[in-house]
Amino acid sequence: MVVPERVSERRLSIPNNAITGILFAIPGYFAGVWLGTLFGLNDDQNTGVILGYIFATVAFLAGVGFLNYPFERLFGWRVSPLTDPDENRGVGRFFRLSLDHKVIGLQYLVTILIMLLFGGIGAMMIRTSLLVPDSSITPSGNYISLIGLHSVMMIFITSAVIVGPFGNYLVPLMIGARRMAFPRLEALSFWVVPPAAVILAAATFWGGFPTGWTGYPPLSEQASQAMDSYIVGFALIAVALVTSAINMLATIIGLRAPGMTWTRLPMFVWGIFTTSILGLLAAPVLAAALFMLTLDRTTQTSFFLASNGGSNYLWENLFWFFGHPEVYIFILPAFGIIMEIVPHFARKPLWGYRTGVVGLFGVMLLSFFVWQHHLFVSGIAPVLRPFYMLSTELISIPTGIIFLVTLGTLWRARVWFTVPMLFCMGFLFNFLIGGVSGVYLSDVPTDVTLHGSYFSMAHFHYTIMGGEIFALMAAAYYWLPKMTGKMLSPTIGRIHFWWMFIAFNSTFFPLFIVGLLNMPRRVSSYDPALVGLNRWVTISAYFLFGSMVLFAANLIYSWFFVARPALANPWHARSLEWQVPTPVPARNFERVPLVVAGPYDYGIPNARPVADLGGVVGATGGG
Amino acid sequence: MGVFRIEEADRPHLLRLLIIWVVLSIVGILAALQIHYPPYDQSVQGLDQSRTLALLTVLATPVFIGVVIMVLYSAIYFRRTTTELVDGPPMLGNTPVQIAWIAISAVLVLFLAVFGIVTLASSNVAQAVGTPGRSIGQSGGQTGSGTIGGTGPELQVQVVAQQWYFTYRYADYGGVETTHLYLPVDRPVELHVTSLDIIHSFWAYQLGVKADANPGVDNIFHVTAQKTGSFQVRCAELCGLWHGHMADSEGQVVSQSEFDTWIAQQQKDYEVISKAVPSYAPFYFPEPLLKAG
Amino acid sequence: MIRRLSFTAAGVVVVIVLVVAFVGLFMLRKPGPLEGTTTKLHLETVAAVGQANEWPRPNDPHPDWVGYLPTTTWKVPANSTIQVQIDQEDGASGLRNPFWGKVFGTEGGNMHVTYFDDKGNPQEGDMTSIDPTQAAHTFAIPDLGVFVPLLGVGDNAPPGTQNTITFSFKTRGPGIYRWQCFVPCAAGTLFGNGGPMQTIGYMGGTLIVT
Repeated sequence: MVVPERVSERRLSIPNNAITGILFAIPGYFAGVWLGTLFGLNDDQNTGVILGYIFATVAFLAGVGFLNYPFERLFGWRVSPLTDPDENRGVGRFFRLSLDHKVIGLQYLVTILIMLLFGGIGAMMIRTSLLVPDSSITPSGNYISLIGLHSVMMIFITSAVIVGPFGNYLVPLMIGARRMAFPRLEALSFWVVPPAAVILAAATFWGGFPTGWTGYPPLSEQASQAMDSYIVGFALIAVALVTSAINMLATIIGLRAPGMTWTRLPMFVWGIFTTSILGLLAAPVLAAALFMLTLDRTTQTSFFLASNGGSNYLWENLFWFFGHPEVYIFILPAFGIIMEIVPHFARKPLWGYRTGVVGLFGVMLLSFFVWQHHLFVSGIAPVLRPFYMLSTELISIPTGIIFLVTLGTLWRARVWFTVPMLFCMGFLFNFLIGGVSGVYLSDVPTDVTLHGSYFSMAHFHYTIMGGEIFALMAAAYYWLPKMTGKMLSPTIGRIHFWWMFIAFNSTFFPLFIVGLLNMPRRVSSYDPALVGLNRWVTISAYFLFGSMVLFAANLIYSWFFVARPALANPWHARSLEWQVPTPVPARNFERVPLVVAGPYDYGIPNARPVADLGGVVGATGGG
Repeated sequence: MGVFRIEEADRPHLLRLLIIWVVLSIVGILAALQIHYPPYDQSVQGLDQSRTLALLTVLATPVFIGVVIMVLYSAIYFRRTTTELVDGPPMLGNTPVQIAWIAISAVLVLFLAVFGIVTLASSNVAQAVGTPGRSIGQSGGQTGSGTIGGTGPELQVQVVAQQWYFTYRYADYGGVETTHLYLPVDRPVELHVTSLDIIHSFWAYQLGVKADANPGVDNIFHVTAQKTGSFQVRCAELCGLWHGHMADSEGQVVSQSEFDTWIAQQQKDYEVISKAVPSYAPFYFPEPLLKAG
Repeated sequence: MIRRLSFTAAGVVVVIVLVVAFVGLFMLRKPGPLEGTTTKLHLETVAAVGQANEWPRPNDPHPDWVGYLPTTTWKVPANSTIQVQIDQEDGASGLRNPFWGKVFGTEGGNMHVTYFDDKGNPQEGDMTSIDPTQAAHTFAIPDLGVFVPLLGVGDNAPPGTQNTITFSFKTRGPGIYRWQCFVPCAAGTLFGNGGPMQTIGYMGGTLIVT
């Protein structure tokens, strides 16, 4: 074997920042369009547009600097040094490829909040056009484009809104790790999200796609080039889900500090763990289905065309095999947040830690066996319906466990009513309504009337917005002092909570009634008899949007205009992430901590501090 | 029941909660029973659904009230009253209570599932178990009645969806195609829902029927109207530009004699085009199939 | 602090501009100009909106799409009889559901057609249905029960000619009624039903009854 005397001094020096990324992406797009036009089978531009988006994304990632490391290793050149978290603490690091999980967490947070703004504006436009029953405000075609943009944008956001910012930032801190297992995969899971959002928004220039987030063929094969945005954007989100899941699983399994046994793992980490298993197993199915749809659209295969031997059921099954676990990808981290935050403010140990973990795993496992409940009226074989009805109703048992654990923790507690705690209680109320309405939808006879109506729309907004987003708000008020170094104003926070809670329920509860009274989803014109309820909902929705603006204002205000830094442990919480100083040092812990106690041992006589941090000066937990 | 030893400190709380819960649940259930649940009673199936909705609400009410009062009670009585931070009692869990909670939710869930399956097994549900739900391909063998003039007691009506209108064909009347759906009262109807292009969903709200219309599939639903009057038909699956307008409020349930008069008129009107329309079949694959002009 | 304030203000302004642009894209992108309220509709159907006898739109973003001209949004009075004349210049492409070869909902249940027969001779007459394979488009307002098939220009017709279809129908109360075509005439899209068939301004539009 020939051993080189010294490593070559050559380097692949693509600068690693977002601007070169954008500069690379533009020629990438045109190269893809050119190739697609050259080799495309159809005279429509689908092949070109899809290749354009893919090339643009790859070029963007190359420009951001993802190719440097693999190519340098491949050629035996000198490897560019890792972005050293010790250097460069300036604002610029947020616009570069960074392998620091704390930077990635904040990059995610800001990106997703901007996406959330546009998703929310989409929702406001939808509600505005529903002020009148006859689609005179927004023409029919624009309306269904809006539906598509709002829904897919929100799915992009909700897939990552907790795992991205909070999972990436907090998991290493909570398990006592100094870094992630696969920082490059972690960075990749972030850097595909902005291209996905931009590609999705590009659908507007092709007139928007008409299918909503479900993308049912044959309609999606009939659609214009805008559909390609849906395909590529969603595929990128699948990539983000898988890469993030691999990284999280490897980190949680492999990089726990000594003494951080599975029974001392914070519940939030368990939420991330279970959701990562779901993401890893479900997202590839979506990618496969999207690939088939791409072939159908560009090379005239007929996976989904009944007239040519395919079946639209194939897409419906593949999509929902991904789609139903996907909604639990949204909610499992939210469960984790609730069970994480409640003990810290109840000042009591988590009531039934192991049962709670079993609940999370139960939801995770069952979520793979329920997908056909989306197809009860589609004409699936009737003998399958009882099974899927049963499995769907069974999910309420592990979900009930989450409620039991939370309520048990609150029992005879000394609840400290902070803003995060308020949002946790709001979550319990909203998710209860969401869960109970889910039982109505799981029952086949009632599902015949409720399926595809505003009832199901209200149901999943209660679980996603009332559930996941309320948990997100709890997480934001709870952890942002650690992440940004500034406390969010609790006064504005309280106003925000009550405003959002009332506006949310006032918006979505009437929609259950609207659905029961014969209003299908995704329609721009409806029965004029329902105009009163719809106007009420629209005005409430404006208030709901206002509450989100208030949150944004609170965030910007605290981040940029509050001079006083937050305490290292403002909540006097025991868990590990609060024991490090604020701002968190570049390497998190001076040395890997030795964990000696569980995170929720409040009130236990002679409970030890959670970990031996080896002399790091932080706040002491334990209260 | 020695395992359920109730601690002294829990007793007043449990007693209060129990009283509030029982009172509110009774009030809630009584209130829930006052509601008239859609889709009301124009068809046997619709009545069945509105009864199931009522049952679900009655069952959900105590669960909902129970959890909400637990949350509110914690917020009021378990709130910290001192200015300084104090820890609560270190309760790590209670296995009997957890087992009881899981057992109760399992019983509720299994009751619902068994109830649902029993309902599904009865023949007057829109999509009963054991009823052929679809047929794919000519040799599917489960086409219900794909032939003209089926001899069963059920009236065979085909719903043909296309972008963006539903038309109807009556197999027992020579496959006559109509622009509105008329059904005779008190006669079981077998609806065969299919599509000429993409997925639609046939939703006759007042009749309690919703069935996806898939190309190349004969999706079978059952309905027996029991009250005369008009009903609405809408598309419930996003199908493109005019999805929101794919509705028809002129569906009618009429007496058998009125139906006979109406269908005779339809057959007369239909003659002029009858030769050009393909004969009645479980589904159709009209040209053009692919991307062609 | 002032620097931060100005940065924040600039950021907020950028976001507001983006949002307004986004909203405008959907709320303001409405179909073409309306005619005044009329009881007489004179329309033209063509194979490509870029080339038409009466109202060509060569600068259209999709000059090769089929379409109704001059516009597809019409204002008509309520509860009155509307006379329609359609100059049909497109060839036949056949109905997906042959049932729509029959005329529904017009006054008298028929339409008056001027056309050229198989041999290229001019013909004229009232019809209650046409051969579904010979349909080029349909004029359909489903909520008013109006479905009128439009006979395609025959192969032997003199070049540059058109079929003229006239009929009348009655409007009901005020409201917005959609109209569409039932012939899968959007070449290049699945089932002939994408593109122009799903874009207002070509093969779809609204009848505003005031």
